[in-house]
Amino acid sequence: MSDKHRRVLDALELREPDRVPVMDLMNEFSTCNAILEKKPNPLGKMLRDPRASKLMDRLFALPGSAQLTDREMERFTHLGAAAAVRMDYDAAWLSCFPVLRFRDSRTMTDIFGRLCDVSVDAAGNLANPIYREGLIKSPADWNAWPKRDILRLPEKVNRVFREVQQAYGDRLFIFAFANYGLFENAWQPMGFERFAVAARKEKDFLRRVIRFYADLHCMLVEAAADAGVPGFIHTDDLAYKSGPMLSPRLIDELFGEHYRRLTETARALGVKIVMHSCGNTTSLLEHFVSWGFDAVHPLEPTAGVDLAAAKREVGDRLCLIGNLDITHVLVDATREEVFEAVRQAISDAGKGGGFILAPDHSHPDISVQRLRWMVEAAREYGAYPLKNQDMRG
Amino acid sequence: MGEYMERVKSALANLEDDDLASLLREALEAGEEAADLLAAMSEAMVEVGERFEAGEYYLADLVLAGEVMKDGVAVLEPHLSAGDKGAKGTVVICTVKGDIHDIGKNLVGTMLSSAGFQVVDLGVDVPADKVVEAVKANSARAVGLSVLLTTMVGSVGEVVDSLKEAGLRDGVKVAVGGACVTDEVVERYGADAMGRDAVEAVRIFSGWME
Repeated sequence: MSDKHRRVLDALELREPDRVPVMDLMNEFSTCNAILEKKPNPLGKMLRDPRASKLMDRLFALPGSAQLTDREMERFTHLGAAAAVRMDYDAAWLSCFPVLRFRDSRTMTDIFGRLCDVSVDAAGNLANPIYREGLIKSPADWNAWPKRDILRLPEKVNRVFREVQQAYGDRLFIFAFANYGLFENAWQPMGFERFAVAARKEKDFLRRVIRFYADLHCMLVEAAADAGVPGFIHTDDLAYKSGPMLSPRLIDELFGEHYRRLTETARALGVKIVMHSCGNTTSLLEHFVSWGFDAVHPLEPTAGVDLAAAKREVGDRLCLIGNLDITHVLVDATREEVFEAVRQAISDAGKGGGFILAPDHSHPDISVQRLRWMVEAAREYGAYPLKNQDMRG
Repeated sequence: MGEYMERVKSALANLEDDDLASLLREALEAGEEAADLLAAMSEAMVEVGERFEAGEYYLADLVLAGEVMKDGVAVLEPHLSAGDKGAKGTVVICTVKGDIHDIGKNLVGTMLSSAGFQVVDLGVDVPADKVVEAVKANSARAVGLSVLLTTMVGSVGEVVDSLKEAGLRDGVKVAVGGACVTDEVVERYGADAMGRDAVEAVRIFSGWME
């Protein structure tokens, strides 16, 4: 076992490693390309060029164009791993996401029923698509929705992560990300207004959808484990700025048993499983423990999550990951500000182990220089036994 | 408050929405005034907001209440006079240029309408000049900007600057909401306030219209 694996595993199992591990979310072409000093893929610029985009419109209408998109997304998983190794991260969230389907140069769907706008960042990189609305509005829509590509996802995920694990797994603890979470896949393909009504009045329909995706997620964990990947990220934004989007009681009623099945599957396979939920998740922390997750990310400071309080509440049962702000600290803060944010996070959550430092999200404007400062600061403040701790930590 | 008013208020506040539209029709046929029924629904939405702030209701409940409210208003609409609506003042709302997320913006619109504001909803991905045009055309006194994407937060500054250039800024307050909005964003781009959710947004705009 490499030092990095041991370090990450110690943190996940709530022991003190030699130092606080550092990980990142390799979810943006722009960040990965900047780290590796690569130029953007020409696809982004072509999508924004009026003449080229007309050509792309015709190309995307051809049968088989989905394979090109899938190949690009598979390439992205390798790109993310290479960038994470270059940054000397201990761990990385790597996405294998062959689920996007261009409708034309401006819009895309995914295989789950989201309609999105194509997004290209300032440098010309393809960015994460921007959710517009759901295409599955009723049980009849769900029954009619083509599921072949969804059902083939575990095989693709297995193949891509096998390659990536073989190429980079000795230098990186890989957390596989391969699908939206159960809650997100329940609401986004129908839209939140429609979901809010269904959560009250059409629970049987919702339960069918959730069960389908829970089965799929268990297969994805199996696929990742079979590929040799040691970690899995279940990304499911259950909360927003001021708290959970549904009552925690209703979340538990609709999703709890499925989260438990997912974490039991991971545990049986020896895979560590992380719950990622943006927003203020403070009132959900005990649920994350009861559902069996090993860790939670990102504990967003700008959503009002108090990392020290989270550590006090669940730090003896749940590894905490994240907390570095991406609205200012990792975008345009000074070196001193980045160092102070890292010092504070480690002081708040590092005591006794069970903390992995990471950005609280990804977006194209994150500065690679500030990511480097984050790593540097983690080396300075993160060696155990910890120094520079606040008394409240 | 009459029997129908109590039943309407209770149905909406308790999210017992199955029969609200038929209840409203029944009340209209029984001779109740549409404006009074609308007032009862507005009171119910205030109660929904209070329950949200107390932690009894969650975002999905607010959205559900908003959907029920919209269905109810659709029943009442043909029976309402212009004076029954939007008495508190006019607010222009939109999701800023480059961003198309609209759950929060829609909810703010519904809650503001319920609270008696005239709401001009410009939709999503709205450039600054369109906001200025709408403020002028509707003599709006306030603007609500929604932005979820961190990369698009600069669009808030574009709206504030455009209002200044048009000579409107002194008479128009600007509130911002959305996942990436912080106090620092408000200060950096020269907005006036940040709302963490739709209920807080109503409080902010109500304060400005007093």
